[in-house]
Amino acid sequence: MDTTLLVQALVSGVLAAGLYALVSVGLALAIGVIGIVNFAHGEFFMVGAFLAYQLFVTFGIDPVWSLFIVAPALFALGAIIYTSTIRFVLKAPELNQMLLTFGIGIILQNLALLIWGGDPRTIAGITYRGIGYQIGGVSIGLVPLASFVVSLVLVLGLYWMLARTPLGRAMRAVAQNRTGAALVGLEVNRVYLVAFALSALLAGIGGVMIAVIQSPTPVVGFAFTLKAFAIVVVAGLGNIRGILFAALFVAVAESLVATLVPNGDTLRNAVFFAIIFAVLIRRSWRTA
Amino acid sequence: MSDILRVTGLVKHFGGLAAVDGVSFAVEANQIFAIIGPNGAGKTTTLDLVSGLLTPTAGRIEVLGSDVSAATPAQRCHAGLGRAFQVVQPFPEMTLRENVLVGALFGTPGRTRADAERRADAALELSGLAALADVDAEDLTLMQEKRLEIARALATEPSVLLLDEVMAGLRPAEARDAVALVKRVRDSGVTIVFIEHVMPVVRDLADRVLVMDHGKVVVEGSYAEVTQDARVIEAYLGKEEVA
Repeated sequence: MDTTLLVQALVSGVLAAGLYALVSVGLALAIGVIGIVNFAHGEFFMVGAFLAYQLFVTFGIDPVWSLFIVAPALFALGAIIYTSTIRFVLKAPELNQMLLTFGIGIILQNLALLIWGGDPRTIAGITYRGIGYQIGGVSIGLVPLASFVVSLVLVLGLYWMLARTPLGRAMRAVAQNRTGAALVGLEVNRVYLVAFALSALLAGIGGVMIAVIQSPTPVVGFAFTLKAFAIVVVAGLGNIRGILFAALFVAVAESLVATLVPNGDTLRNAVFFAIIFAVLIRRSWRTA
Repeated sequence: MSDILRVTGLVKHFGGLAAVDGVSFAVEANQIFAIIGPNGAGKTTTLDLVSGLLTPTAGRIEVLGSDVSAATPAQRCHAGLGRAFQVVQPFPEMTLRENVLVGALFGTPGRTRADAERRADAALELSGLAALADVDAEDLTLMQEKRLEIARALATEPSVLLLDEVMAGLRPAEARDAVALVKRVRDSGVTIVFIEHVMPVVRDLADRVLVMDHGKVVVEGSYAEVTQDARVIEAYLGKEEVA
């Protein structure tokens, strides 16, 4: 086997893992803190991507700078969606919650189709997209490298926030015991609101990155919802700390299959389903 | 007004059942106030209504003179109500220090981090948990869990602490420790309202005793007064035995 190809696949996988972790950690935050399985999570990612595209087309703003506009915008979108819908189903059966978030996802996706149409949208003329480095035959693009570094910093920053800051303690307290948290003075609903908005913000930042890496269509979100679910399942539902390693595992698996299996590129999504099935089946053995 | 907690005409219906049916009482500063009664008398429901976990059908709850009847549990905590449960409610994946720190950070708004940490350590010390500060809450014994429950509530700096059967499930020696702890808490300036089934504990601790049955107040008075009341004996033992 060609070792350069193998190393290239590994490197590409690791670089992709940063963005995957960033998107998944938001999903895990919503599941872990609020207990909401958010099927619309990938749509926050998509909205972030198209906002970056539109900011570039209309105002000529470079995606690097639109990060600072998209992040608060998505925080606000998350807060609005939580306040207008999610908070009313917190005590409803899980199926109702899932159907609600699934519906929100479909609405966001169709809104995007109405506004931007179904064609892939490219942020044209970004000079740094072409920059790459060759190390011993392995090529590393500047954009994937930068997105990996930024994602890693944000995920580690979230871990630090959860571990050390008052807001992080509030989130963990609410996640671990809602009643206990309310009785020691925490407004549970407000903590949920911030957690949900933060989860949308993280996905939105990931969206800006994908707008540079690929030419997204309005269905890009669903693909990332699927990836994020595979990662969240590998890490264990609600386990935020495990996301980084789970993302690494899933992204490298995807990259290896896409590179080393003949016609593997068409099997990318199958990899995620296979991982979800394998992990769930293995877990059910353990508990049986 | 020296009443720290005043409850007036409290009513809670669950469907057709009046779990709490017109309960009124007032607790003075620095008292230890016991609520007793048979199972299903409405004691825990009363504490749930006072701490805001349940919404009353009717009635009024005042803490330090301000009406908290429509406040959230968090707002009532800020107003000065602390609560410890019979079924403990810890944050299992945090250390004891962190558990108590959450209470110190959020129990009183506008507190600095350093002040909260000092408070948390003081609450751990008073509850006899200082040596276990770095242990995770999920690794505690029942007695330690109950101490943690009290420590975390104390860290919120309550004016009045509601204790729901803290002695339940404890061995006699542990129960004696718990009684001593409740006295220490009172001596630190916190008024205490507690639900208890173990009568010697009520006798040792309570300044006032409220007896409930079928959601209503049967009688209120000192331990000696209420235990000689014919209605109380009837409520506990049933009509047949008394007659």
